[in-house]
Formats: sequence, C-alpha cells, structure tokens
Amino acid sequence: MKRAPNRGWPSTIVGIVLLALMLFPVYWMVNASLQPAGNLLRGDWFPFHPDFSGYRTALRDQGGNLVTSLVVALGSVVLSLSLAAPAAYALARFPLRGSNLVLLGILITQMVPSIVVANALYSAYNDLGLLNSYLGLILADSTAGVPFAIIVMRSFMRSIPREIIEAARVDGAGRLRVLTAVVLPMSANALITAALFTFLFAWSDFLFALTLTTTQTVRPVTVGIYQYIGASTDHWNAVMATAVLASAPAAVLLVLAQRHVAAGAAGGSVK
Amino acid sequence: MTSPARPLARRISARLGTGIVTLVLVATGCGGPTGAGSATGKVTSITALDYYTDEPEHTQWAESLTACGKSVGVTVQQTSMPGPSLIPKVLQQASSRTLPDLLMLDNPDLQQIAQTGALTPLDQYGIDSSGFAEGIRSASTYQGKLYGLAPDVNTIALFYNKDMLAEAGVAVPGTWQELKAAAAELTRPGRYGMAVDANATFEGTWQFLPFLWSNGGDEKQLDTPQAAQALQLWVDLVKSGSMSTSVLNWNQADVSDQFVAGRTAMMINGPWRIPALNQATTLHWGVATIPVPQAGQTPVTPLGGEVWTVPQSASKARQQKAAHVLACLNDSTSMIALAEQHFTVPSRSAAAAQYAEQDPSMAAFVTSVEAARARTSELGVGWPRAATGIYTAIQSALTGEQTPEEALKHAQQIATSP
Amino acid sequence: MRSRSRPAPDPSPWLFIAPAATYLLLFFGYPVVKNLVMSFQQYTIRTFYTGAAPFVGLRNYSTILSSDLFSKALLNTVLFTAASICGQFVIGLALALFFQRSFPLGRVLRSLLLLPWLLPLVASGTTWRWMLDTDSGVVNDVLRHLHLLPSGVPWLTGTSQALVSVTLINIWVGIPFNTTILYGGLQNIPTQLYEAAKLDGAGPVATFRHVTWPLLRPVVSVVLVLGAVYTVKVLDIILLVTGGGPANATETIATQSYELSFQQFEFGRGAAMSNVLVVLSLVFAVGYLRANRRATSV
Repeated sequence: MKRAPNRGWPSTIVGIVLLALMLFPVYWMVNASLQPAGNLLRGDWFPFHPDFSGYRTALRDQGGNLVTSLVVALGSVVLSLSLAAPAAYALARFPLRGSNLVLLGILITQMVPSIVVANALYSAYNDLGLLNSYLGLILADSTAGVPFAIIVMRSFMRSIPREIIEAARVDGAGRLRVLTAVVLPMSANALITAALFTFLFAWSDFLFALTLTTTQTVRPVTVGIYQYIGASTDHWNAVMATAVLASAPAAVLLVLAQRHVAAGAAGGSVK
Repeated sequence: MTSPARPLARRISARLGTGIVTLVLVATGCGGPTGAGSATGKVTSITALDYYTDEPEHTQWAESLTACGKSVGVTVQQTSMPGPSLIPKVLQQASSRTLPDLLMLDNPDLQQIAQTGALTPLDQYGIDSSGFAEGIRSASTYQGKLYGLAPDVNTIALFYNKDMLAEAGVAVPGTWQELKAAAAELTRPGRYGMAVDANATFEGTWQFLPFLWSNGGDEKQLDTPQAAQALQLWVDLVKSGSMSTSVLNWNQADVSDQFVAGRTAMMINGPWRIPALNQATTLHWGVATIPVPQAGQTPVTPLGGEVWTVPQSASKARQQKAAHVLACLNDSTSMIALAEQHFTVPSRSAAAAQYAEQDPSMAAFVTSVEAARARTSELGVGWPRAATGIYTAIQSALTGEQTPEEALKHAQQIATSP
Repeated sequence: MRSRSRPAPDPSPWLFIAPAATYLLLFFGYPVVKNLVMSFQQYTIRTFYTGAAPFVGLRNYSTILSSDLFSKALLNTVLFTAASICGQFVIGLALALFFQRSFPLGRVLRSLLLLPWLLPLVASGTTWRWMLDTDSGVVNDVLRHLHLLPSGVPWLTGTSQALVSVTLINIWVGIPFNTTILYGGLQNIPTQLYEAAKLDGAGPVATFRHVTWPLLRPVVSVVLVLGAVYTVKVLDIILLVTGGGPANATETIATQSYELSFQQFEFGRGAAMSNVLVVLSLVFAVGYLRANRRATSV
C-alpha cells in the first residue's frame, strides 16, 4: 500500500465522520441496551449510568435461544463445508464435461427466493417430522451456505499451482488423498472465509426460523427477538440487549478476521 | 372401529375408552411407589399455551395453572405467545400436531379453530358447564357443541389521567363531541389527548367496535353511514393532532405504556391493565364508560375473555388431565380469584353476583359486561373476515388513503369475499 | 493426458460433486417444483388435518392476480427494488472512490463499514423500527432539535413515508456490499492509466469519465443485477419494521406470499404468489447471465 500521510489526515477525519453516520444505528442499539428498565420512551443520548439489568433479563429469557442459534449455525458450517469442499475441488480441478451446468445450477440457486423454499419445506418437513428440529433448521439454513462455499472455495482452488497437485498424484496419492492432504490445507484461507460466512448466514437466518419452528423447543434467537418485540413493551432494554448479543458474533468475527470478511464479500459475489 | 353411522355405539365405546384409561390411571396410581409411571402412560405433566406475555398477568396465570394442576396431580408447563401471533402459531401447531394439552384462545377465535377439527368438544369430559353467561357460552359453542370455557370476561372502557384533566379543567367526556373537545384541550407538546389501538390486527378491530356498535353500526353490513361516522371520529382525532399517527402501530400494551409515561391523557383499554397502572405510583387515573354518539345512549361494547380449550392430541389420558385442569380453572372459587387479580368479571352469573357484592367498585363492570356483545354472535366463523375488513378500513382511513366511506366499502368487500 | 501416472483405485470425480448436487436438488430443485404443483392446489386450514388439497387449475393465480392488493404489491416491489439499487449503488460507489485514496486508518475504517451488512437483520431492523418512531424516535428528535420539522415525520405511520423508510433501511444494509465489490473493481484498474490521464491534463471528473467508468463497467453491471436479484426477494426487513403496513403501504410480492402461506394458511395462493416472485427473479437472472458473460469476455 502506498502512503501519502501528508494529505491523509483530513481524509481520515472525513472517513470517521462517514463511518460514524453509517454505524449510528449500531451505537443506538448498544446505548438503548444499557438504559434502565421501564419503557424507553425517555431514553438518554449517552449511557451515563450504564444499567446491565437489560442483559440479565435478556440472558434469562433468551439465553437458551442463543445456544440454539449457536448449535444451528455450527451445524450448518459443518454440513456446508463438508458438502462444498469436495464439490469445489472437483469443479476447480477436474475437466468434467457437465461442470458448467453444475455452475449454472449454483448461480440459479441464487435467484430462488427463500419464501419458495420455506413454502415447500414446510409441508415436506411436516410429513417427515423435521419441523421443530435442529436437523431441519441446519439443513434449511445451509441453503445459503452451500452455494456460497462452493463458489468461494472453487475460485480459490483454481489458483493452486497445478504442479503441486500433479506432484502428489505422481507420488501415488488418490483424488481423495490429494484433497485432504494437499488441497484443503492449502485452502485454509478459503475454508475460513467460507466457514465464517456460512456461520453468519445461519446465525442471522430469520425466515426459516420463523416458518419451520412452531413451538419453543428449538427456537433461534432471531425469532426470540421478534416475539420479544411484541411481548415485552416494558422491557425495551432487554429487547435491545438481546439484539446486541445477537449482533456480537458478527462484530467479533469482523474484528478478528477482517481479511477473510473482505475476501468473502468480494469473492462470493462476483464469480 | 365403529362406523360414523352408529353414533350411539361410538359414544359408548368412547366412554368405555375413557373408562379404561381411568381404570389404568387408578391402577397405576395405586400400584405403589415403583415410579414406573411413564411406562404405563401415567400423566404427570401437561403443557399449556396462553397469550399473556406481559407481567403481572403472565405470572398470575402461571400461579392459577400450577394450583389447578396440583389439585388434579399434574404439573403444568406454561408457555406464552403474543396475542397477534397466537392464531397463526396455533394453526401451524395444529398442522404439525404439536398443539399444547391446554390452549387459551380469545373467544372470537374459538369457532374458527374448532372448525379445523383441532379442538375436542368438552361434553366428553363430564365438566360442569352450567350457569355461564349467555354471551360467553355462545362464543364458545360451535355447531351445537361446547369447545371451551372462560373463567372470566371483560370489556373495554375509557381510562383518563385525573391530574391532566384537572389541570386542563376538562370534565370526563361522555359523548363523541365532548371526547373530541377534551382530547384537543388535553393535547400539549410531547403529549396527546387520546390514544387507541388502531393497528392492523384484530386488536385494532376490537377497540373500534364500541364506536361502531354504539352508533348503530353492524358487522353484517359495514358500508353504512353509521359505521362511517364512527370511523370519521377516529380520523378527526388523528387529523386534529389529538391522537398520534403511531396509533396505527400500537398494540394495547403500547397504548397503556404511553398512558403510564404521561404521553397521552386518555386511552381506550381493558381492566386487565389495571394492575400495571396501579404499579405506577405517581399516576392518578380514572375509568369511565366509552363515550357515546349522543348523550343518554348506552354504549355497546364487545365481550372479551379468554376461553380454555382442550386440543386434539394422541393421548386420551393427557386430554382428560387437561380437562380436569380446565374444570378447576372454571369453578366458582378460582374464577372469582382470577377476576379479582385481573379486575375482570366472573363468567358464571351466580359468581358474578357474589363478586359484585364483595367488591362494589367492580359493579359497574359487572353490569356493562352483561350487556356486552360477543363478536361471533352474528357471523360465527365468518367473523375473522369481517374483522379483517374492519382493521383494513381503519388503517386506510387513518392514513388518509381513503375516506371512511370508501374504506368501509372496501371492508364490506373483504368481509364477503370467498 | 495423465492416464499413465494414474493410480488404480480412484473415486469418480462425480462422487465429489454428488453430495452437494443432491443437496442442491433437494433444497432448491424440489421446492421450485413442489411450489409449482402447490400453486394449482387448494390448501385451507383443514388441509393439514384431512390431507385433502384438491387441484383447482389456475384459480389461485386468477384470485391473486385479480386482487386489488396485487398491483399495489407489484408496484411496491418494483419501487423498493429500483430505489434500493440506485441508492446502494450511488453511495457505495462514492464510498469506494473515497476509500481508494490511501490515508491513515483507511483499511480499518473500510472493514468496519461492513458491519451493517453482517449484523442479523432482526437486530438492525428492530433498532431502526425504534429509531424511526414518530413520537419518541431519535430521528425525529434530531429533526425537532434542529428545528427542521417541528411535528416530526411519520416515518413508519405515513403510507408514503413507510415505503421510503424501509427502502432507506435496505439501502443502509446494502451499501457495504456495494462498496466492497466496487472497491475491488477499482483496485483492478491499472495505476498507469491514471498516471497517463494525469499527464494528459485530465481533471478528476474527466479521469472518472474516461478511465474509471469504462473499465469499471463490467463490475458495475454484475453489482446492479446481483443487487436486483437479492433485493426483489427481500422479506425480513419489511416484516420486521412495518409488517407490510400501514394500510398495506409496504406490502410486496414477497410479504404477500409469506402472509398467504404462513398467516392465512392458504399455501396454494402463497405458492402462486411466490411463483410470481420467481418469474421476476428470472427476468433479472437472464440479465445477470448476460452481464456475467459480458464481464468475462471483456
């Protein structure tokens, strides 16, 4: 990166102002979560006297839902990556005749609205007994993760030098062995990016959680918040505290894995 | 299996069925402390779903359910769902066969749910259902069979902030003209004179009914001048700035929050909010009947109250236990206790009379509930469609999209569409 | 080509693709087909109890297409999509150009900008809903304090404002995505071209017109089409912030489909409505494939 520090700082200030505007709702969410209980019709601009009772209420009411979300999101990561990694490898490295068709199919999946999937899955799940189950939600939530992971990993695996793979093949390694011993370790970055986004997709899912669960047994935090809004008008701080807790994974991952997030945002979309 | 052509035989076999279940229950109950209960089908806990998510009502119901559960030997696991999302959820649960053992429904929804076949008629459980007020009985009956019982009933009224009225020198309004004048007089920066729930749910419809009915309007024919005048009153309140446009989004709990926060001087709400109002120590509030078009008229208000039902389930034994809890909730003692907690009225006429004697301040509610009208009394299962038409009209008129006349014409189309 | 060095027992390459392909067929192929079938059937509340969903031909389609809400929902969908795309793109491009300069903290700020896109919509939607409250929301508070609008704007309670509000929120969510992709596109433009333009004495506007824009065009078309495909099916934001109201002012094809299926349990009509959405998406899909082809051939 080139640097021009002399004329840089004014730009930094402009940048900070722009960012502050864009992130104001995030600040407001945090601020509201730290206000004392009671209806928030008279909230302050700053949490001068931060009150954590909202978080206590939120953890009491929504703690289980947060765990549910975590289980579903991790399950979706495992499922998506184990389906997508071999497929991405095959699409990237094998000269298959139908592979363009498969790629076209993956692109088409991006056009299918989730409500179409939810409509059909509801009655199918009803017959199969998959409503209100972790497995059902993991399977449905992976509809966002699997195509994305294939696209991201495929474009990365294409950039692995051919010589390395051929060398392994000459040594007698089979295709599966090449994938597990050579390609996957080299694609760690792409795997992390794919895992990160798959996690966030499943974690943030609202529509499937809303339509494919009917009881409280398996309830992700997104639906928890949605029902919280209608239910506890006198506990707005707890509602906002839950929103903050639900946002935490995104914020933490963004800070810890900046590079992967940026790579995923660009990589998954264009190709 | 018995054929439907022999109802008597079926009834007998059903009796036998429950008889056997009871025998099994007794047998296992007496079978000593071997704890093999679950294997032989002994029911030790049942689930209940209600729509009281707000405190203190949520806990009050929890306590009543626990107490009644204890008296029949089961623990009751209570869950609550916000009112507006209850019916979609119940339908979803009905289709996925995950209904609770004991289900609370708002009385106008009962017939619609009974129609789906998701509920069981109560006559098979041998519950005492005598002496209930006629309005609530008819709302709980579908095709001649009783599907639910409500321990207590209620209706809505006008709540006002005494301090604000005194400070503005305004008397409690009794007519629509007085209501408009008082609301305008009470409006200040950061405060509105009046608040209602006009959201796009059945709650919005429910709050509008006293205005519609007291003016001679009727849900069978919505595009009438009487209905339009009632809607015009709400439109005038919003247009003059006496009522916030946010009423379009508020539910009844939001309206009550506004009232407690001092952001509105008057509101329409139900007596079940009284416990919450009493918690606000600095608030001095009063309650009056809803203003009528002309002085001297009697307001016609909708009958509120939640009925407990026993949904279909795979286990007859669980149904029977649930029915016992339901019977316990509806006996005279617990209905008076519930009514005291919720500031509502017991639904057995004898209990109501006793209650009015005990607590004279509730006497006004006892009489007004007697005259209250059930929402499904005219249209039955057709009511939800009319109710949808009404709230759609309220929304269109209050946003200024349509005049009240146009909006109600459209409402009538919705009410009669297939 | 490499047959001589090939080891003997090796799974067919298709076995690598088969699990993912099966999954995609089950969770995208089946729903699309099932939805098509359902749209010709009559579902009622009772269906799930009795299992009876008789075929009714095109009646679901004629019912939804003739309902007076349909044209409104279609118009709302088009307005929402078009305005969201324009807003996201223009602001996203401006930010991408801004971040292209190098300045201290530039990279950190650029990645923090992604936050609105990464947050669960439920969390940000709830916050917005509360910020936009007519009487006690912070947005109207600010407007009042600045003496711009003493009475405040009915963001979520006015029929025309509500659609604008949900569109603005959707723009807010989409800006980071647009910025990131356009920034990536900008980075791929060779620096020599800018230096050459500078030598020719071109100002910033001329440089943008003659260098940046033509070379960014392929990325731009992909961003726009992809944005449209994603926006047309947006459902969560509207459901969370306005629920389609007030007075159905923010109903779109997607929210209608949700309500028909999961509120009224008219799965047949809901399926028909969502097929309208599929057709809309397909229109954009064709555009996408064309744009993609142009992008790769350049």
